[in-house]
Amino acid sequence: MEINKLVRGIFYWLSAMLGVFIVMEIIWPNIILAYFNLNWLVLGVLVFGLASLIKK
Amino acid sequence: MKGLLTKWPFLLGVIIVLAFFVLKFVPSGHIVYERDYSQTFRSGKGFVLGFTPAERVDLSQTLPKLIGDPVYFSLFTPRTFDTAKVTIVYQDHLSSSTPLIEMGVLKDKVARSYDLQPVENKTLAALAQTWTKIGTSNLMLLENGKNYSDLKSFQADLASGALKDCPSGSSTCLATYNYAPVYNFTLPGLKTSAITLAEPLRGQHQFYVYAASSTLDLAFNFVDMNQDAGPDPITVNLYYGAKMIDSRQVADNDPVPASGVAVEKKLALVEKNLRPGVYKAEIKITDDTVIKSIQSSSDKLVFINHLWPVSASGPLDLYTDAPYLLVKAFTPASLQTLSFGGQDFNLDAPYQQYEFDAPASAAPKEIRLNRDDVILDSNSVFSWSKDSLFNPSLKKVDNHFAPDGIKYILADYQAPTEQNGWQSATRDFSLTGSDRENGKYSFLLSVPGLKTGSDDYLIIKDIKVELQGRSLWEKLKALYGNK
Repeated sequence: MEINKLVRGIFYWLSAMLGVFIVMEIIWPNIILAYFNLNWLVLGVLVFGLASLIKK
Repeated sequence: MKGLLTKWPFLLGVIIVLAFFVLKFVPSGHIVYERDYSQTFRSGKGFVLGFTPAERVDLSQTLPKLIGDPVYFSLFTPRTFDTAKVTIVYQDHLSSSTPLIEMGVLKDKVARSYDLQPVENKTLAALAQTWTKIGTSNLMLLENGKNYSDLKSFQADLASGALKDCPSGSSTCLATYNYAPVYNFTLPGLKTSAITLAEPLRGQHQFYVYAASSTLDLAFNFVDMNQDAGPDPITVNLYYGAKMIDSRQVADNDPVPASGVAVEKKLALVEKNLRPGVYKAEIKITDDTVIKSIQSSSDKLVFINHLWPVSASGPLDLYTDAPYLLVKAFTPASLQTLSFGGQDFNLDAPYQQYEFDAPASAAPKEIRLNRDDVILDSNSVFSWSKDSLFNPSLKKVDNHFAPDGIKYILADYQAPTEQNGWQSATRDFSLTGSDRENGKYSFLLSVPGLKTGSDDYLIIKDIKVELQGRSLWEKLKALYGNK
C-alpha cells in the first residue's frame, strides 16, 4: 500500500516537473533542453504512471 | 512517510526550478560552457552546437574531423554576455599549404563579417625560429636581419615612412598579421579626376579611395530587388585608418520585402576638410541589393578582397595585383573560360569555389570575365582600370604569403600550447555588438585552403567558452540607479 502511494507520488511529482519544464521551455527556449533531455522525464512519467496502474 | 510524499517533493521541485532560474539569469555574470567531443553521452543538447555545413565535417569517428573551410558552430547562451574566452583543443593533420587556423565570432550578419583571431599560424612560427624576434606575444616584430633593437624606434620610423633598409616604401617590405599599425599611405603629387563606375555589383563590398585633395564626394545608386524575404537596409561607412568618420543609412520601409518589384535607392557622402590619403568605404547591404553605380570624385578606387559583378552588358575587364583568385559561379549560366594574368582557366561547375594561380609577375594582372554573376575573392584589391589600381594594404602573413622582399613582420600572435599530442589555444572575443540570433552567438573556424577531398583535416576534441557579463546586481543598478 505504501509502495503504491510512493509510486503514485513520484508519478505526480514527475508529471508536475514535466509541466513546469515545458512551460519554462516555451517561455525561454533551450533553457531546460540545453541541460536536460525531457524525453527522460517523459519516460519516467510513463513508467511510474503504468506502475501505479499495475499496483492497483 | 506522508511528509516525504508532500513536503519534500514540493521543496525539491521548487529547488530544481530555482536552479534553472539561476542558470537562466546567471546572476554572477560569469559562466563556463564546454563541449567535450570525446564524451558520447550527453544529458542535454548542450551549449556549443555544430559543426555546419555537414559536407565540411566528417562525423564518422567519435571526434569531428573538419575537412573543409570554413565551418561554423554556435553557442547558445541564456542571456547576453560582454566577453568570451574560447579555448579550443585540436589536433592538426594539415600540410604546408594550410598553415593557418583562425577562429571568429559573427559581428555583422548583413556584411557576414567575423572578428577573426589567430589559433595557429605555422608560417609565422617558422619565421620566428629563423628571423630576429623583438617584443612580446602581444606585439612582436620579426626582422630578416638586425636593423632595430626595440619596437619603439621601429614604430617611429614606420610612422614617418622611413623604415631602415626599405627604400621602396613600407608597403614593399613590411607584412603584418592580426595587427594594424599606424601607417599613412600617400601618393605625393597625384592628381585624381571624377569617375562613374557603372558596372553593377551585388551584395556587400568595400573599397579604398584615394583623396588627393581635401574633399571627397561619393554617390551611390542601389537597386533593392525585393526577391528575398526580410528587410534590405543600406549602410555606408567611411573610415580613415581604423576611425569611422562618417556613416549613412537608408532604411528599408517596404511593407512587402519579397514583392519582386525592384526599387531604386540613392545615398551620397560629401566629405570636406579631409587629410589627403586613403579612405575606406564599407557598403553593408544584403545579397538582395545591387550597387547599380558609384560616382566618386577620385578615380583612384579599388575594391577590397571581394567583387561580385552582375547584370553586365558584355565581357568584363578587371585588374588586380593578387597572385591568386578564388572564383565561384553563382549560376550555371555563369560557367565560362576566364582569363587571369594572360592564362585561361575553366570555371566548369556552379556554386563551387575554384582557386586559380596567376603566372608569376609583379605587374598588374588582367582578369577577363566573359560572363557576369561570378564571385571573385582574393587577398588583394580589384579595379576596373589599370590606372586606378593601387594597393595601400600591407601584406598579410596568410596561407598565400611569400616572404620575397619582406624584411619586417609585425604580429599580434600567441602560439598554441601542446600537451599529449593535442594543441590548445585560448582567444578572447568581445561579444558587445556581436550578432546574437535565437539566443545563439555564431562562431567560425577557418583553415584557409582546406578543401574537401584532400588528405588534410583538423580534429576537434574540446571547445570551452568562459563568458563574462554584467552581474544581476550591476544590471539592476544600471536599470534603477539612474531613476
